[in-house]
Amino acid sequence: MTSGLASLAVVNPALAERAGVSALQVGIVLVGGPLLLGLMGKVRARAEGRVGAPITQGLSDLRKLFRKEAVRANPTSAVSGLAPVVLVGSAAVAAAITPLVSTLPVSAGGSDVFLVVYLLLMGSIALALGGLDAGTAFGGMGSSRAMTVGAISEPALLVGILALAVQARTSNLPGIVTASLNHPGWLASPQRVLALGALVVVVIAETGRIPVDNPSTHLELTMIHEAMILEQSGPDLALSTAGEAMRLGLLLGLVANLFFPWGVADSGSGLAVAIGVFALALKAASLAVLIALIEVSTAKLRLFRVPELLAGGFVLAVVAVTTGLVTR
Amino acid sequence: MSATAYLIGVSAPCAAAVLGATLPVGRRLLGAALLSAVGCLAALAGAGEVLLSGHPFALHSAEVLPLTGVDVSLDPLGALFVAITAIVGLAVSCYSIGYGAYSNAGRTTTAVLPAFLATLLLVPAASSVATFMAAWELMALTSLLALLGDHRRRSETRDAAQWYAAMTHIGAAAILFGLVLLAARSGGQSFAAIAAHRRELSMPLRSGVFVLALVGFASKAGAVPLHVWLPRAHPEAPSPVSALMSGAMVNLGVYGILRVGEVLLGGGELWWWLLVAALGVTSAFFGALHAAAGTDLKRLLAYSTVDNVGLVLLGVGAAGALQSDGDRVLAGLALLAALFHLANHALFKSGLFLAAGAVQHSTGTRDLDRLGGLARKMPVTAVLFGIGALSISAVPGSNGFASEWLLFEGLLQGFASHSAATQAALLAGVAALAITGGLTATAFVKAIGVGFLGQPRSEEAREANDAAPSMLAGMGILAVACVALGVVPGVALPTFERVAADGLAGGAPHALRPGIGIDLAAARGAIDPALVVAGLLAVFLLAGIAVRFAPRPAQLRHPRRGEVWGCGRELQTARMEITATSFAEPLQRVFADVLRPDRDLEVTHADESRYFAEAISFHQCVDDALERLAYLPVIAAVVSWGRLARRVPNGSVHRYLAFGFAAVLVVLVVLG
Amino acid sequence: MRPGAELDLVGLAGGVVLAGAVLTLWRKDLRALISLLSLQGVALATLAAVLAVHGDDVSLGVVAGVVLVTKGIVIPGLLTRVVRSDPGSRETSPLVNVPASLVAAAVLVVVAYVVSGRFSALFPDAFTRLAPLGLATILVGFFVLVTRRKAVSQIVGLLLVDNGIALVAFLLTAGFPLLVELGASLDLLLVVVVLQVLTTTIRARFGHVDLDQLRELHD
Repeated sequence: MTSGLASLAVVNPALAERAGVSALQVGIVLVGGPLLLGLMGKVRARAEGRVGAPITQGLSDLRKLFRKEAVRANPTSAVSGLAPVVLVGSAAVAAAITPLVSTLPVSAGGSDVFLVVYLLLMGSIALALGGLDAGTAFGGMGSSRAMTVGAISEPALLVGILALAVQARTSNLPGIVTASLNHPGWLASPQRVLALGALVVVVIAETGRIPVDNPSTHLELTMIHEAMILEQSGPDLALSTAGEAMRLGLLLGLVANLFFPWGVADSGSGLAVAIGVFALALKAASLAVLIALIEVSTAKLRLFRVPELLAGGFVLAVVAVTTGLVTR
Repeated sequence: MSATAYLIGVSAPCAAAVLGATLPVGRRLLGAALLSAVGCLAALAGAGEVLLSGHPFALHSAEVLPLTGVDVSLDPLGALFVAITAIVGLAVSCYSIGYGAYSNAGRTTTAVLPAFLATLLLVPAASSVATFMAAWELMALTSLLALLGDHRRRSETRDAAQWYAAMTHIGAAAILFGLVLLAARSGGQSFAAIAAHRRELSMPLRSGVFVLALVGFASKAGAVPLHVWLPRAHPEAPSPVSALMSGAMVNLGVYGILRVGEVLLGGGELWWWLLVAALGVTSAFFGALHAAAGTDLKRLLAYSTVDNVGLVLLGVGAAGALQSDGDRVLAGLALLAALFHLANHALFKSGLFLAAGAVQHSTGTRDLDRLGGLARKMPVTAVLFGIGALSISAVPGSNGFASEWLLFEGLLQGFASHSAATQAALLAGVAALAITGGLTATAFVKAIGVGFLGQPRSEEAREANDAAPSMLAGMGILAVACVALGVVPGVALPTFERVAADGLAGGAPHALRPGIGIDLAAARGAIDPALVVAGLLAVFLLAGIAVRFAPRPAQLRHPRRGEVWGCGRELQTARMEITATSFAEPLQRVFADVLRPDRDLEVTHADESRYFAEAISFHQCVDDALERLAYLPVIAAVVSWGRLARRVPNGSVHRYLAFGFAAVLVVLVVLG
Repeated sequence: MRPGAELDLVGLAGGVVLAGAVLTLWRKDLRALISLLSLQGVALATLAAVLAVHGDDVSLGVVAGVVLVTKGIVIPGLLTRVVRSDPGSRETSPLVNVPASLVAAAVLVVVAYVVSGRFSALFPDAFTRLAPLGLATILVGFFVLVTRRKAVSQIVGLLLVDNGIALVAFLLTAGFPLLVELGASLDLLLVVVVLQVLTTTIRARFGHVDLDQLRELHD
């Protein structure tokens, strides 16, 4: 990998810089996702008066799972093996093109908000098909619920992002981040405040946190995400867990950079990238703590109350776009 | 050259129809199919030359139709539709060899399919009102015969044919009325004469003509609320016919709207296009929702056609509205997206219908609740269905994703428009695009997951076999086209852009970057699907390498098999699997206000105690609420009128002759 | 202050008023509705204050104070007393369910935006362009009035309509004259007091305040 980058640097230094930043971002999301999950668990535990597991617990779990033997259910097809890889792959590609640390990656073209949204959808499809592959009641139930929640959170997500894209007049992610760095006044603009509300609702739904899904439940009747991966074990389960953590890290990092773009590097120089990494960690961790606090203070909603939450997110997003149009 | 190729393209399927009707049983299938395929290739060559060179051709023949003659000309807009039909027709011809052998296709069925194909190729090239209406009616007639096919004694098929016949005739009447009005007021019935004289027409007249044409064409395209025939006809038709209907015929509805609204009437007013966009948004949402709730594989696909036609109409409406607001660049972009999506939809939806036909033939059912586990029994069909399903779900790297991204980009950039009504339509469009994306993914996860994965739910599904090679080849052509357009859409996009510019009255400057990207004065944006695919492949490669260097590579490659988790209970059976009905249940509850499912739960209690149930029966039916609320009352009213009218005739021949005589007298007096 | 920042602040306050109205449809807990109203009052007062600073208008400043006191503190306080006498009261079953009414609210917002394009074109001014926010608040308020059953929710709907009217007035003409605003606020206060007395009496007589039950009086 490193030698490949070095030889690329000789041929095309700018491209090598981009590839390097992209690889760095994938690595950060891969390691940072489980760490953020650990942080959220810690905050919840502390708020409930427990000590809680160490923040690195997620990484240790992954290492343990990777070493275990893989067992697949009898009726499964190749989909069961492919689904976790596609989940991780789609999250990795999304991480490579999203301006998390620097606006540099594929800034010439290819980093589009619509693409990131649909890469996430691709991961959800893979996960849901994996849940259906074993042909059990629980896996199918989880897939059905996950797809339902995903389908109704999509409008809030896309319209919420539209509020930002209309303001910046582009759906190119580095474009949006650069534009908001150039216009500090936008941070307090009404459409951004309202769109942030909408997107926080979506992030909670997409990553399966309370009040939409309880990540720590194993009661078959209430779980969504856990039901889909019930038949997975060993490396398969490790990949699914890692993929899910990467999606959380990616979404938090994306929302953080869209609304609070401070510190995002605009070049590939070492110092700028280091600042970018530090700022990203700080912002994503703050958002994670915020979500953990929401989780502690609310009860899980019944599945059929979730549409109310997401419809609320949607209408906030519509109000955000409209406000953006009238204040333009 | 292009004219000759096109004429061969239209006449070869006609000859194939004759062959299909006359050849002996053993040869007619192969003969008709091969000749149709040759015709499709020729039509593709002719249309391709027009598309690439941009030079239209025009032909006139006084002999074929009396009084008016036949006018045929192919401009880039028409050529695009001919090309799409030709590709779908090629695949369908190939598929029909194996399919016909399975289903013991009769003489009529073998003959009607190529005839239907020929009319589909003819409509986009008709260039006068008389020729157009003749081709349109021939298409309606042949498609009706093709729909009846070999199942004409099934009551569902007859029912579907009745709905289709009624809707298509109401639609054709509206179009005829509109076009004749137009021809009468502009002093010529050729399209060129009408377009040349459009400025002399008053705006109310133009609006009237547009609304009439819109009613007719939207009903052919299957736009809500005129869609009621579509979810009946497409599932009931034999699968090659369903594929032609969904992949080629509904497109012609969109073609008609563009031809009349833009080319003949010159764009007109803003509200026309807002109306089209509103139809699009409604269809997209309603179709996607019913597709997500459905359990019949082909009915699901039919509703998904309603959904995709909605997205195309949304793009067309946005293009017209932006053009009325004076922004030609953005209008061109939106129309380009709409046309590209239309082509992509034709490719993946006809492929999906063909695959569904293979499933139906192998198992004898289209009910997802009775399928399952087909991925092991019909692996090739499963893979081809999977490619279509992932394309329609707009997975990045698929052609569906490329066109939906362009559509999103067109809507987003359109917000620069100054008219609040257009902005509102665009906002509704983005919301519709988003909800449709999620619902379509749900629908096709259900179709793959319940139909092809898991364990078989019935004896028929357990004994399924893969389809015949010719059928697989037909589906394969479409799958390859989908993947190619998904990974390198940049190859085809410039052609679509030229067509979009040609379709908009007054043309449109171009806004496309090489590759797939847009380049506007205010904004640039691009995606590179090839890069995404490369990234995903790299991850797969890494995973493969990781497996090799893992501590126990053999174990990872062939993992140990174990029982599925059954809460500690062994022996899971297929009866415990989730069904399509239960998969869709949460969505049905969420959207109960729109779907209005009809459900019935009957619990028979044991005699001893009410706490024990002896039998539970659950019945649910998700029919079309719109049909129930809007159409059935009208039909009931018509029927009661019919009852009244039955009192007038009493069976006496003299009375009937008297009616005729009176009518002649009245006409003479009125006209005299 | 930069001119852009003033516009942003006014836009933000207007957005908060509208978002508060929309969230009224979301929450069922009556106490949450009242705190949303109080939030709206504060946002309206902020908006008036910013406009007063912008236009150097002392009387508008006084109006801002009045709005803060009546809409931000007094009216929510009165409503809290009504609710407190009936603890745990929630809007149990609105006539239109919550997701549907939220989607309806989204549609109303867009409708307000489309139709108010014409009349804000009469006064081409940066603040006037925000008028659709007020109109949307009025429409959502009416929607609450039409679809909610509890008497307190009805009062909330009425107050939403009033807040919307105030918002439109501030934006279009930089506020009513002081006297009119004072009179209107007092009127509103009176209405709330009367409704409070009425709901208390209804509850004392019938044990609940579900307005749908009033239909029985018709027969």
